[in-house]
Order: sequence, then C-alpha cells, then structure tokens
Amino acid sequence: MSQDSRNARAAQPAAGDAGTVRVTLTVNGADHELLIDSRVTLLDALRDELALTGTKKGCDQGACGACTVLVDGRRVLSCLTLAAQCDRRQVATIEGLSSDGRLHPLQEAFLRHDGFQCGYCTPGQIMSAVALLHEGRTGSDDEIREFMSGNICRCGAYPNIVAAIREVARQGAR
Amino acid sequence: MTLTRPVVVGAGVDRVDGPLKVAGAAAYSSDITLPGMVHVALVRSTIAAGRITRLDTGAAEQLPGVLAVLSHHNAPRLAAGPTNNLGPTPPPPLQDDRIRHHGQYLAAVVAEKPYQAAAAARAVTVEYERTEPVLRIEDPAGELRTDPFGMDATRGDAAGALAAAEVVHEATYVTAENTNNPLGLFATVAQWSGGRLTVHDATQWTSNTCQTLAQMFEVPESAVRVYAKYVGGAFGSGLRVWPHVVLAVLAARTVGRPVKLVLSRPEMFTGIGHRPNTVQQLRIGAARDGGFVAIEHEALQTVAMDDENLEPVAASSASAYACPNVATRDRQRRLNIPCPGSMRAPGEAQANFALESAIDELSYLLDMDPLDLRLRNYAQVQPQFGLPWSSKALRECYQVGAERFGWSRRDRRIGAMRDGRWLVGYGMAGVSYLWWQVHCEARATIGSDGTGYVRSAATDIGTGTYTVMRQLSAELLGLELDQVRFDLGDSNLPWSPQAGGSGLTGALGNAVHAACRELIRTFLRTVVNDSASPLRGCTIDDVAVSGGRIHHRADGKLGESFVAILARHGLDELTADGVSDPPDPQEVGMAPAGAFAAKFVEVHVDPDLGLLRVPRIVSVVDGGRILNEKLARSQIIGATVGGVGQAILEETVTDPRTGRIANANLGDYLVAVNADIGEIDVTFVGEPDQLTPLGTKGVGEVGLPGTAAAVANAVYHATGKRIRSLPITIDDLLG
Ligand code: FES
Ligand code: FES
Repeated sequence: MSQDSRNARAAQPAAGDAGTVRVTLTVNGADHELLIDSRVTLLDALRDELALTGTKKGCDQGACGACTVLVDGRRVLSCLTLAAQCDRRQVATIEGLSSDGRLHPLQEAFLRHDGFQCGYCTPGQIMSAVALLHEGRTGSDDEIREFMSGNICRCGAYPNIVAAIREVARQGAR
Repeated sequence: MTLTRPVVVGAGVDRVDGPLKVAGAAAYSSDITLPGMVHVALVRSTIAAGRITRLDTGAAEQLPGVLAVLSHHNAPRLAAGPTNNLGPTPPPPLQDDRIRHHGQYLAAVVAEKPYQAAAAARAVTVEYERTEPVLRIEDPAGELRTDPFGMDATRGDAAGALAAAEVVHEATYVTAENTNNPLGLFATVAQWSGGRLTVHDATQWTSNTCQTLAQMFEVPESAVRVYAKYVGGAFGSGLRVWPHVVLAVLAARTVGRPVKLVLSRPEMFTGIGHRPNTVQQLRIGAARDGGFVAIEHEALQTVAMDDENLEPVAASSASAYACPNVATRDRQRRLNIPCPGSMRAPGEAQANFALESAIDELSYLLDMDPLDLRLRNYAQVQPQFGLPWSSKALRECYQVGAERFGWSRRDRRIGAMRDGRWLVGYGMAGVSYLWWQVHCEARATIGSDGTGYVRSAATDIGTGTYTVMRQLSAELLGLELDQVRFDLGDSNLPWSPQAGGSGLTGALGNAVHAACRELIRTFLRTVVNDSASPLRGCTIDDVAVSGGRIHHRADGKLGESFVAILARHGLDELTADGVSDPPDPQEVGMAPAGAFAAKFVEVHVDPDLGLLRVPRIVSVVDGGRILNEKLARSQIIGATVGGVGQAILEETVTDPRTGRIANANLGDYLVAVNADIGEIDVTFVGEPDQLTPLGTKGVGEVGLPGTAAAVANAVYHATGKRIRSLPITIDDLLG
C-alpha cells in the first residue's frame, strides 16, 4: 500500500477532544467503532477496548512478536501500530482463526507437535505462521526458521514450531 | 496398588491446556479484567546507591485520571514477609528513602487508564543524594559472604592431593549475568473486598504468595486467595513475592478499587530476579591414567543489598565425580544491583560450565578422549555420602549419546574437521543434577457420576503439570483421561510447593499418588461391612482399579463401580487427602538422585568472521520415570535452547559507573530465536527412581546445564581457542 492511501485512511480526530480519535476497526470480519486516545496502539485497542486478549504483549517495543496480527492480510506488530492507523482496515487475530469451533490446521499442528509450553508466544507464532504460508516461505526448515525468527519463544519450542509449520505446509502443497 | 503397568501414564498425550492456548483463550494474569479496575505504573530509581532527598508527586497528581501516588512519604509500614526454603522474601517496597539499586521502585501511580498512569509516573520528579555504588563482583568494597548456604563440602585433603598430583589443570571461568525474561510480562491484578484479598499473579507458587501477602498486610491467610491459572513462563522468576506484587495489593487497598499492574519489559530486568554472574576457580588434579585425585571449586557470585538468594554453585561439584579429595566453596559479593534469583538450573547452569570445561581441558593434558575421562571417573556411588544412588543411568546417557551423535567420527586433532569454509567442532559434557524435593499436598474426589476431581495449589508454567497430573490421576483412579479433572493455580487448594528446582512433578505426583490411594481406601472402608459389596473386607493390597471400578486383584470380574458404591450408600461423593514428604536418605539407605544427562554438541565456526553456529545437539537424559514423553521432551528441548542462549547470546550488561542495565529490552538482550536453533535430539534412558512410589525425577532444568560447556568444548575442538567466559562472542573467536 502506498504512503498516500495509508494517509487517506487515517482516522479523523473526534470533535471536541484533540487527543481522541474515532476509529473503525474491522476485526475478524466484525466492525467496531471506537473513540480512543490517539496514543493507543492497535495491541492495546484489541486487548483493552475490544477485550480480545488472545493477542499478547511481550515487550511493547517491537522486539518479540507476541503481538503479531494480520492487517489486510500482512503480519504486523500490533504494539508498533497505532489503532488510528488501522481505520477501516481488516485486522485478523487469533480469536478469528478457528471457524465453527474447528481449529485451524496450524492450531491443530501446534497442539500435535507440542509447539509451545507456557503458550504466551503461541498466538503470535500461529498468526505469523498463517502469514508465512501465504508468503511462500515454507520451502525448507531453514527458511521456516529464518522467517519465524521475529517471534521469540522463551520456552524454546522452536523445533516443534518448525515441525508444526512444515507439516501444514506439506499438506497444503499436496 | 502400585504403578507397575503404565497404561495412561507414559503416553505422549497432547497438552490438556493446549486447545485453550492455541486459541488465545488461556487467561494469563495480564489478561484479567475486573469491573471498575484501574491501573498502576511505577517510578524507578535512576541511581544505584544513596538516598532520596526530594520526591515530588504534585504535578503527577494533577494529571487526568490519576487517583493516587504512593511513595515512601505516604505508604504504610509493611511487615516483613516470611522466610521459606528459598530464603527470605525480598524487602517490601517504599519503606524508606534508601536507594539500594538502579531500577528500585520509588513510587506507584494509580490512574483510570494504563497510559494515564504511565504519563503520570513520568511526571514524578525525584532528587537524590548519590553515594558511590558497589557494582563489580571483584570490588572489595562489597561485603564478601563466605559459605552463605552452609553447603561448602570437603572430603579428604584437596590441597595436599593437588600439590602431589601428576597432572593439574587450574583455570578461572566467568559467566555473565542472565535475565529470565519469560515472554509473559509479569502482571498482578489485586482486589480487596470486605477485608478479603483476591490476587491474580504470574507466580510459580500460589501458596507462598498467599502466605506472604497475608503476613505483610497482617490479615489471616484464609482471607487471601491467589490465582495463577496460566503463567507466561517464569524460569525461576516467579518463585518469590516481588515488590511489584506488594505494590499492586497496596494500590488496590489505597484506592478501594481493583487494580492491574503489568511490568514493562525494562522492568522485567530489574524487578523479578536474574541469574547472578560468577567467577569460578577450578583446580583438578589427576593421575597419568586419568583418575581424579582432587577437585577444588571456588565460586563467587553476586547478591543484592538486604537480600539473600539460594544459589549453590560450587556445591554441585562435590557429587559429580568419584574423587577422594574434594573442596567446594561458595562465596557471595554484596552489590548495589537488583535482587538476583533463580533462573532455570540456578547455580548448576554456571557451575557445570566451569567443571565440564575444566574436565575437557584436563583431557587434552592427559591426551585422553573427554568421554573416556568422564567414564574413568564415574561416580558409581554418591561420593559424598558413600551411599548407592536411588537411580543413576549416566553411563547409559554417555553411551547412547555418543552413538546417536556419532562421537566415534570425531577426529581428535584440533581444527581437523571442516564443512566447506566452516571449522567443525564436536564437544560434550556430563550433567549430574542435584535432587530437590519438598512437602506437598493434594486432594482427590470421585463424584456420583463416576468422574474424578483432583487438585492442588501447584502451578503449570508451561511444564505440563495440568496434563501429567491428569494422566496420573486417571491411572491411579482407574478412569479415562476425559473422566478426570485436575485443577491447580489457586492458593485455596491444598498446599503445594513451588514449581521449581525440578521438584514439583515428584512432590506433587507423590501427593496425588497418596491422595488417590487414600481415596480408594475410603471407598473400601465405606463397603467394609457392606454385605451387598463384592469388595467387602478388602484392603487396598487386595484390589486394583480400572474402567471406573474397584475389583479384586486376582479376579477382575469381582468388583463394583465407584458409582454403584456411592449410590448404594447415598453419597454424593467421597474425598481424600494425600501428602508427600521427601524421604530421609539415611533411613532408606540410598542417596537421592536428581536427573542425569549427557550433552553432545556440534558447532561450526567461521574462522574469518568469528560466527558461531550450533547446528546439532544430542541430549540423553535419565529422568527416572517419565510421565509424558512428549511433554518431557519439550522440557529438554526448551532448556537446551536456554542453554544455547547462555552459551552464545545472553548477557545482561550493567553500566559499571551508574548501575543502569544498558540492554534492558529484547532487542539488545539477545535470546535464542528460531534461526539460532538447529537439530535437537532428545532421548530418555534409565529406570524409575527407587526413592518414591512414583519414581520420577524432575526434568525441567537438567536440559540446560551441559549445553554451554559442550559448546565451549566444541569451539575448542574446532578452533583451538579455549573460551572460559560466557557468552562466547564473535570477539572471543576473532581475538
Ligand atoms: S509486544 Fe509487540 S513485538 Fe513484543
Ligand atoms: S511457549 Fe512460552 S514463550 Fe513460547
């Protein structure tokens, strides 16, 4: 997306309060109109305003990947993204991944391969992995490792995360 | 009724909390929201030693949304927390004007919104009278504590034997300070209502948090309830009740509303402990044939002002090898630093690097294969007590590891193996983990629908406790996995020790074992005179359980279901309690064994750029009885990844003048990411441990030690460079 169209989509200041903006977030297909402080990040808007706490905060500094969500299909760090930048954009979070109570194949693969321990990085890992499949970065284990390296797992579940993604990527290829 | 025939147990059952976790639906303490909840932000010291001369909260109090600002001016005096098996509680916050370390909490701001609290915290101004901080481990200005754990060990005459030894290796090894950095930001949600306190916390030990808060706030323990249903990792940092927890509780009491306090990542470096740095002297004397004649290990580590930290380092070297003359000494230097605390394999992570590097160095002096040297000095009995081990399959660890790794393909000459332009090195290390077990309680119930409910106040910090205890309960009660619930993470449940020291699975498992056995006895007592029962007059030794029934051991058809017994006796449920206590080694005539492991590592070093890669690690572990191989394997993988971090990446850097941590974020403090980790092979060997009915030995930590030493030993094999300090960096390899 060009810089221009991004600006064109910026939220408008709400009348009467210079620090407050009106934003419409489309999260997992549903529209939410929010009146929020312009400083609020997408991460905090999801967690505090919309009670979607599946997206995690591990650093709030863009260094861990726990807050990874998809905006218009691309993975972003929601702690480095202002909610106001996402006006009328499509935001996808972990809560929207399963449908009709059925887990997404990546969620199932993470379960089967024990791709987590404490589970705190897991929503971010899985959202990153969803994007990875679309990015076509699953050609080899090394490629998966490289392009999943923005998501820290302090419990060290990396080999199992790679196994889970590899399995889903191979199934998709078949 | 014993666990002779593992049915449910042992199987690689998927995590029972997994479906919630992959859906983002597991609620960690930072995810808890209560009606009317407000938020706390913290003000921290920007000097490391001195006192506060002025602390002005006036401007902060005027900012929008601010409800209260707490400081030493207005905070009430709090009672000291209790001393438990890990030592005293860290000092309570805001009690005086003294500065003990950079990052110490000086004020807590309570506001309606988190960003309002953060903005107001920045508006608090502090002036100091600065004194010279003591910051370096070598600084003689810092108090030196000798034998702080009472664990210094001697046998024979190490000094004399070293003087007479044919071959002596002597060197100093240094390990950096590391920070736990669980990914989950520690968060405390606290609410007072009618004199009762409810807390949701990132803790590894709800029972202790409950007791500590009760004591500090002078309310009965029964008025305090601490939840930790899900914890976003901790690795030791959740073992103590840190000042921020106390501040959240105080803030909630002050404003009369529920509060949430979430630490920032920089605060996670100063407020919840870290692995202390060490300087260790190792002296090993050997005969020409490789037999050890003496080991001397002296370890100096850091500790904070007004605090203690149980971290025996040198102590573990007393029992690792058969050697007639041993002296181990632990020392602590008191500095103006944030409180150190446990971090995965506390003490052993540092000690093992020194000892296992030293043995590798000795192997070259002796011109012996490092694996043969370890086998030559294998401790067949526990060398300090002279007692047989309750279990030990370290020899098998070495043998299986060597085979899986291909140790025999190692060309012993330095720098002889290559992969293109990369130098290739093979290194290995042994691990003898110390044993730790403490009192634990559990309760088991079977209801009229025939399902089981077993619980304890324990925590699952990613270790798999929910899963393995449900498996174990199902097996002990003869039920299917989905017929049993296992609950934890609530201080109102029966008392549990910390998820730490690799001791919980054993302590809790044995308590669950006791509770389930007692529950079966309770059923048998119920029918003891019941003429309608085929189990009339049976004792627990006469019966077995399966399919929701108790039946005669000899005749599976002769028995009846839990449901039938409860119905006939008009009971809704039966409940029983169980406890476990660590056995007395002298009484059982065995030396309690922790887990053992062997690590084999391949490294690749770019000789021009100093790049270091670890493409392959083989771990073979004797963890006694393994309750769930899939989850135990994950524990070893995760700890190995932590070991790679310790070996080549992790270092908390403190500015030597100001005491400020210079890299207190995840961009500058490097932890292993996916691309840093290659192939990790894990195998379990050994038999159930003989000390307890369950036969487990904890496996949460044993995967970490050994990694750094094996990496350093492999680096030497590849390059001829002996790196005696962690982490091993590019500078080391280019130097
Ligand atoms: S919370 Fe966004 S990258 Fe860490
Ligand atoms: S599962 Fe704990 S941080 Fe990844």
